[in-house]
Amino acid sequence: MGNTFRNISTIARKELRSYFTSPIAWVLMGFFALIFGWFYVNYLDYFVRMSMSGDMGGGMQAMNVNDRMIRPLLSNASVIVLFLLPMITMRTYSEEKRSGTIELLLTSPVTDVEIICGKFLGTFGLYIALLGTTVLYLAILFFYGNPEWKPLLAGYLGLALMGGTFVSIGLFISSTTKSQIVSGFATFAVLLLLWVINWMAESSGPTASAILSYLSITQHFDDFARGIIDTKHVVFYLSFISFGLFLTLKSVDTERWRG
Amino acid sequence: MIEVQHLTKRYGPVTAVDDVSFKVDDGEILGFLGPNGAGKTTTMRVITGYMPATEGQAIVAGHDVFTEPLEAKRRIGYLPETPPLYPDMTVREYLTFVARLKIGKITSADCAMRVDHTMKKTRVDDMADRQCSKLSKGYRQRVGLAQALIHDPDVLILDEPTAGLDPKQIIETRDLIKSLAGNHTIVLSTHILPEVAQTCTRVIIINRGRVVAVDTTENLLKGTASLYVQIEGPEDAAAALGSVPGVRHVAQTDRHDHWIGFEVEAEGDHDVRRAVAQTVVGKGWGLLELRPKRVSLEQIFLQLTTAEPAHQAVDTPAEPPREEAAHG
Repeated sequence: MGNTFRNISTIARKELRSYFTSPIAWVLMGFFALIFGWFYVNYLDYFVRMSMSGDMGGGMQAMNVNDRMIRPLLSNASVIVLFLLPMITMRTYSEEKRSGTIELLLTSPVTDVEIICGKFLGTFGLYIALLGTTVLYLAILFFYGNPEWKPLLAGYLGLALMGGTFVSIGLFISSTTKSQIVSGFATFAVLLLLWVINWMAESSGPTASAILSYLSITQHFDDFARGIIDTKHVVFYLSFISFGLFLTLKSVDTERWRG
Repeated sequence: MIEVQHLTKRYGPVTAVDDVSFKVDDGEILGFLGPNGAGKTTTMRVITGYMPATEGQAIVAGHDVFTEPLEAKRRIGYLPETPPLYPDMTVREYLTFVARLKIGKITSADCAMRVDHTMKKTRVDDMADRQCSKLSKGYRQRVGLAQALIHDPDVLILDEPTAGLDPKQIIETRDLIKSLAGNHTIVLSTHILPEVAQTCTRVIIINRGRVVAVDTTENLLKGTASLYVQIEGPEDAAAALGSVPGVRHVAQTDRHDHWIGFEVEAEGDHDVRRAVAQTVVGKGWGLLELRPKRVSLEQIFLQLTTAEPAHQAVDTPAEPPREEAAHG
């Protein structure tokens, strides 16, 4: 068991380091912070104007910063993540296959599961670092206002879980191809599809509608953004992640047999 | 140390390796010789546990590669055709990563010592803090060798370790490999013949996925000693040379305006140089050149790899199994 954790951590640290020694991590973090900041400023501006007009009109309920600002902000963050994550996951396996370093990993005394978990955690670590850049913006809200922190925490948990799902899908797709471009684009397409899949829900039959909304990755995020941690959604995300990792395992194994 | 039994690997309809069996003893250097696409890389990939065999098995240091992969892999160092380097790591970072990956439980101090030691051994210590992407071909190959050696494995599998190196580097690499024998059992593949003659104790010649010859380098070369003789003299000199005692066969190989070249094959171990020279001089012809022919391994190789049984050609009418297809 100790061996397993050690091997996973060796690979995860290698993944993380390769992101941070190349420009990838910094560029992505920079742009993520920039785009998130843009949304932040816009919502803040809107929120401030609305609350002021509310004050002047009198009689209106004080606006809730959690409801009116943080919730839509986090929902938007989930969309940015959807665009950025394929660029992180696209190289995980494709690059190793193209450069031949996969031969080193597969002939080392580590199991496929350890390699996959290590890669997942390393990539997930970079994603958490991306999210980390947003903490500063929200800290400002706490400094000048008094938002509730519990719903915010639930929102971050939701973002982390959703990102984990994206990473596991990206990992799987990356394991099927040598080309980073193909890997990145296919991941983006699949994520986009999973995002909009519930748009068809309204016009389809009751059963299909239920299935389609259930599959929508972002649908499950809504409750988190509102500050609700529902076991149902946590289980959905966790099982989706496991499923993605399982597919990756099968894909790596198949490649092994085919050579 | 290594035992390969009835190993067969098929990629769909293509048979890359067909019922290959061989053994490698402790401390031996085995040369794996064959034309490009003969199945060398595929065989090595099966032995290292990179891919499973379709049929048959490979046992390394007493562990079946397929059923006990971790135990077997712990004892194997593998240098693939292209050294598996991470371009954004320095040589030291890379070797540290590989050491942790291969050994697992190792303290940082121990790991650093091992990395230093291996870098010295493979003479890459002067590039320790250089990024792998900025290394020359020779250094890449040596870092690849360092990577295979870092956990001090019983078995070293080297896929064309000298490919793409300059002559000086080739000699250095060969010497390094030779110095490793004894402590390690080594299998190296190549399609360069002199390399096998110089480094290996035993040779396996493989063609189209089948073993066509297994023998010691000496034995393969024995019984094929022949001389090249160049004389100034008449056409029928061949008959005179043929009557020299100990000579089995004489054939004219080339001719020029005023000289003729012959290949003189001796019977068994007979040294016929003196007799041949005396005959030529005695006849009053000019002896321009007399030297043993050294490229005989090449001839054996060509003989063995081009003389395919006819029925086999019918079995696989399309392309012969190619490693390139395997890389796919």
